[in-house]
Amino acid sequence: MIWLIGGLVLIGAGVVSAYLPRLRAHAARKRAAWATAKAAIAAAGVSRDACAADVPEARRLLAEAEALSGGPDAARTATELAERADRLWQEACDE
Amino acid sequence: MSKNTFGIARWVLAGVAIAVAVIFLLQQRQGDIDVSYGESPSSDYEEGESGELSDHTVPSTDEMVRQVQAEPVVRLPGASAKWNRQWLREHVDTAGVRLLFAPPGLDEQETERVLAVVEDDSIADAPFDLVTVTGTKVRGGPYTAAADDIDGFQRQFAAGDVTGLLAAVITGMRDAGDPPTAPGLTWREPTSAELGTVTADLERDRLHVADGATLSDVPGNAANAFPDTEPMIVALPQQDTGRPVPDYAPALAERFPDTPVVVLYGNYVDYAGPYRDQFYEVATAGVYGMLGDRISRYDYPQDNVLFAWLNKVTDIRYAGLFDRPLPYQPFDPLKVTLPALPFVFAACVLGVIVLSVTALRRRPSHGRPPTVRLAALSALSVEVSGLTTEASNPSLTRAITHLDAARERDGSAVGRRAAHNLLDKAEHELAETARLIERSDYEPRHYTAGWGV
Repeated sequence: MIWLIGGLVLIGAGVVSAYLPRLRAHAARKRAAWATAKAAIAAAGVSRDACAADVPEARRLLAEAEALSGGPDAARTATELAERADRLWQEACDE
Repeated sequence: MSKNTFGIARWVLAGVAIAVAVIFLLQQRQGDIDVSYGESPSSDYEEGESGELSDHTVPSTDEMVRQVQAEPVVRLPGASAKWNRQWLREHVDTAGVRLLFAPPGLDEQETERVLAVVEDDSIADAPFDLVTVTGTKVRGGPYTAAADDIDGFQRQFAAGDVTGLLAAVITGMRDAGDPPTAPGLTWREPTSAELGTVTADLERDRLHVADGATLSDVPGNAANAFPDTEPMIVALPQQDTGRPVPDYAPALAERFPDTPVVVLYGNYVDYAGPYRDQFYEVATAGVYGMLGDRISRYDYPQDNVLFAWLNKVTDIRYAGLFDRPLPYQPFDPLKVTLPALPFVFAACVLGVIVLSVTALRRRPSHGRPPTVRLAALSALSVEVSGLTTEASNPSLTRAITHLDAARERDGSAVGRRAAHNLLDKAEHELAETARLIERSDYEPRHYTAGWGV
């Protein structure tokens, strides 16, 4: 019985000690990725406000980016969408 | 994507390196190294171990000398060689030649006693030439005779007939030129009664041993010499020169087609069956050329002679005759590649190192905390803010957005990397701003150079 409990404790300790840093690293990555995405969305918003013309495609992309949520992968997708919207608005302004 | 590929390649290379190292180490044998001076593994051959000695013996040298002086032809008990006295007299000058026939299978002392007869003073000075025949081995003066063709081998080993050898030695001693060729054995068809007995035995157990033959069993190497079909073996005793010899081999080969038929006449091996033309003469000449001396002097059982002959046939088979592909030995790929494994291992390690270094090689500033870059770019944005126009405002605003986001990152490795990425974007926007206000001194590359970034 003591062996069973000891074994379970040992396995549990192993799992926890392996899993906690992973969870923590995942959370940190998620935070960082979402911060990058928020910055990209904000930058796209700046470009939109600076541009007089209306670009429906960019608007759609930005809305899509803002609607996304989830892990680091979703954040990266949001970043890409926002950057594409940003570029579209900047090109529309330059013309 | 490419970063992922690099990672996978690194792991694959590391795995291959480990596997190769393990295989190589497991193949290193160390148990069977013998650190001592080599001892020959051969066992000493004791005379008589193969049954080549007979029960016969010879009298003392003096006794034999006395007999030779008394009679022109002395046959010691057990002497088996035969010769055609009439033919020899007609074809060779035999005047003053005396013959001493000794039995085959003498041991070393007995052989020396026979040789001592020739060297005995009274014989050396005698007015005649002495020719000794031990078994079927003929010696006279400095000369020894040996058969050198199939007819000669048949006479000597199938019938124990030494007429031709005697003629050769005597003409040699007399310097009388080329010796005449003695008549060969005469052959006849075996009668159906003879053939019936042999065939019945062969059909039952592929072996027929006639009365007087000394073969005990089929030698173990028969399957090597004839791997396709088990040979049929007939063992007959030594034949009589005077009478025609029944020629069993062709008759049996006709009766059992595609089967190797080996017929032993005394110590002579005859063969009929597949591939006879390709190997028979070579094998027979090889066996009797190399071993004829011993076979003639000693009293070997037929087992030994047949074993030697089958060995020779096997050798010829593996030498590539017989119209048949050689048995192919597939090589062991591990043995062949083993010497290359250390180099494969080294190449894998090198690959892992190169890929690791490539993965580590980022912009050097990105390893450090982003504080200095953040401060420099923030100061630049403040300085530029007074100079911006409506056209350059958006890029400055975007830069500040990124700077704000970078400022909030924590000090962990992930946060640091994210901060640097955001600062890269801010730097890009500030470069755009500097271009729009046409002030290259506010180019972030130039501006931050003074900050030690």
